[in-house]
Amino acid sequence: MKKKFWAVGALTAATLLASLTACASPGTSSSSSTGASEWPSQTASLKGVTLTLWAAQTTTAEAKTVISGFEKATGATVKVVTIPDPYEQNVETKIATGAKPDLAFWQPTASELATINPGQNLLSLNDAPWLSTMTPGINDVGGTYDGTRYAALVTSPSLMGVYYNKQVFAHAGITTTPANWDEMIADAKQIKAKTGIAPFYEAGHDQWPTQYWVQVQLADASKNGLWTDMNSRKQTFSDSTILGAITNYDNLIKQGLFNSNIKTATFVQQGQAMLAGQTAMVVQVNAYLQELQASADTAELNEKVGWFPISPNGNTATSIPDQTNAVVAFNTGNAKQEDAAREFLEYWMGKGYASFISSQGTVSVESSVPNPSGVPDALVAIQKAVPGSAGSMQSLAVANPDLYINLADMIQGTKTPQQVASTTQQQFDQLANAQGVKGF
Amino acid sequence: MSAYAPSPGTKSPRRRRDASRRNYPLGYVIPALAVMLVFFIAPTVLNFFYAFTNWSSFHSNIDFAGLSNFSSLFQNGTLVADLRTTLIYAILVAIFQNLFGLALAVLLERDTAVNRILRAAFFVPVVMSALAVGYIFQALLKPEGALNGIIGTLVGHPVSIAWLGSTTWTLLVVTLIHAWKWVGLSMLIYLAGLKMINVDLLEAARIDGAGRWASFWRIRFPLLAPAVTFNVATALLGSLNSFDIVQATTEGGPGQSTELLNVFIFRTFGQGLFAQATTMSLVLFFTIAILAFPVIWLLRRRERVL
Repeated sequence: MKKKFWAVGALTAATLLASLTACASPGTSSSSSTGASEWPSQTASLKGVTLTLWAAQTTTAEAKTVISGFEKATGATVKVVTIPDPYEQNVETKIATGAKPDLAFWQPTASELATINPGQNLLSLNDAPWLSTMTPGINDVGGTYDGTRYAALVTSPSLMGVYYNKQVFAHAGITTTPANWDEMIADAKQIKAKTGIAPFYEAGHDQWPTQYWVQVQLADASKNGLWTDMNSRKQTFSDSTILGAITNYDNLIKQGLFNSNIKTATFVQQGQAMLAGQTAMVVQVNAYLQELQASADTAELNEKVGWFPISPNGNTATSIPDQTNAVVAFNTGNAKQEDAAREFLEYWMGKGYASFISSQGTVSVESSVPNPSGVPDALVAIQKAVPGSAGSMQSLAVANPDLYINLADMIQGTKTPQQVASTTQQQFDQLANAQGVKGF
Repeated sequence: MSAYAPSPGTKSPRRRRDASRRNYPLGYVIPALAVMLVFFIAPTVLNFFYAFTNWSSFHSNIDFAGLSNFSSLFQNGTLVADLRTTLIYAILVAIFQNLFGLALAVLLERDTAVNRILRAAFFVPVVMSALAVGYIFQALLKPEGALNGIIGTLVGHPVSIAWLGSTTWTLLVVTLIHAWKWVGLSMLIYLAGLKMINVDLLEAARIDGAGRWASFWRIRFPLLAPAVTFNVATALLGSLNSFDIVQATTEGGPGQSTELLNVFIFRTFGQGLFAQATTMSLVLFFTIAILAFPVIWLLRRRERVL
């Protein structure tokens, strides 16, 4: 009897130990297949190879044309696995437990690449053959971490800027788009006085759009090294640059320049308001244009909606490439799979690119591939503003704190601008510290 | 046991046989034990372990970090604020769920056909997915949602109350939704408690002149003590662990006024700060444990009248 008891005890201990050691070191079994210098031919035969591509709900169909073209050309199979939202979080969790796809859509910003430990988990694309064919300026916008390129930018990176209703502008007697921040605010006041329409529309309930109002105000500072200073803690969110932008945003809301239902308004309503002419301007990213495209065709969009970049001193846009813009390849430790993943990206950015952007109805990031017809004017304006744009917090800061949640709290009245800044900084410190950044 | 007491130093054969018979199923326990070990005990032990490390998504090595996670968490006001919200949430849920559960049980006690249908109807939300419940209520309570539509029709002009938009009252609304989902279970347990009460006792009370009110409060309610213990303990301690309904209805908003600790843990985990999230769940674990003992002890003491 005693023996049996001990057997059970030993089994218990063994299982416990096994699970402890199994969990203690996720992803330490790395192979050193980084920076392989030979790139396969775009259509070399891959019979019998199956590639897995992780996608979010918004990107699950994005690669459809590319995949069918690639499968025909190479004989490979590409399986798209849709990871439920919140996508980034679920992918991180999966990777932390040791699961890896061959490829995945991923936000090509330094802060978001950092969360999947790219040096360990991703393939370097430093010498990818398509990089030289990219439209000048696009490569600068994202996809690198610590000087190594990990993400292929497949579509024009998302930019923060101002969407405006051309009819409301005309109604208020405004004929040219503002050339800087002060002009934009002056236009807003004119619109309110002449038409009674809320000049700005913010989706306070959905929280995430709130950060763009602060970030566009940081565009000029970003070009002057704001985020480098933030990354070494020479500056903080509570210093005048960022706190000033937050306070400014708060003041504009208090002056009544925003929609009266700012606390409960959603992203969808933000889109409807623009098309219905119930607001003049919305500060948003490319996802907003996709939302507008879902309920209006190109002709209607071109008639009603325009886009201009804004920054305090001029018209510098702020870039925030997102998960729909880029794909990363994983270091799976299996050379054959890794080569196949590289070949897939090469095909995507090569032979498959023209049909890809035409199926997506989006603009090209390669100089040699022209834009397909039927792309809205606003998107072409965005494409033109990419070179020379400033980097966002997500792109240039070492960490991406929940600035948007804290700003949404400010809109709800539970945080002051000072509290928004200090809470965000606290989280920023915590995230930077976890990464072992010097000075935190 | 004293009947079997053997003389010192000897082991009676009978006892040995008994012991081996008693221990015979030990081997049978192994599969269940293994499952519990892997899915319950190991994670719990790891929860203790990882709280003292720097585990994150940013690097693959996991090093000992001492108490730094705890000190930074308690310096950060969010943890304490969310613990407070979580406690208020749990207390409100316990009150509503038991109040309504008891009322329903008393109202639907008699075994009529209508009551049977109603009991089933009130039990349906219990088996529904909590996330589904949350999303349905979120849609109903939107400013342009169905509830405002109904009120608008009744009062004759459009209404756009943001039911989930108040930083003061939304917590109350969310606890009511939580209570609505689980009230069927409380009702069922109270019903079972009511059915267990001896009819003779109530008849005796009636003969002694006790009215319905007196016989409920003086006899039936005290006899329901075990059901109260179970219901209050499960509602209170269970809702300390709540996540799904709040995540689906408000995601912790507006202005973090409904941010339960679990919502914060989820958010922190999503940032890649795995060790910090683990530390918070350890704090939650201890909070529940510290609360559970006195609450259950107090409730059990009430049962002594039986």
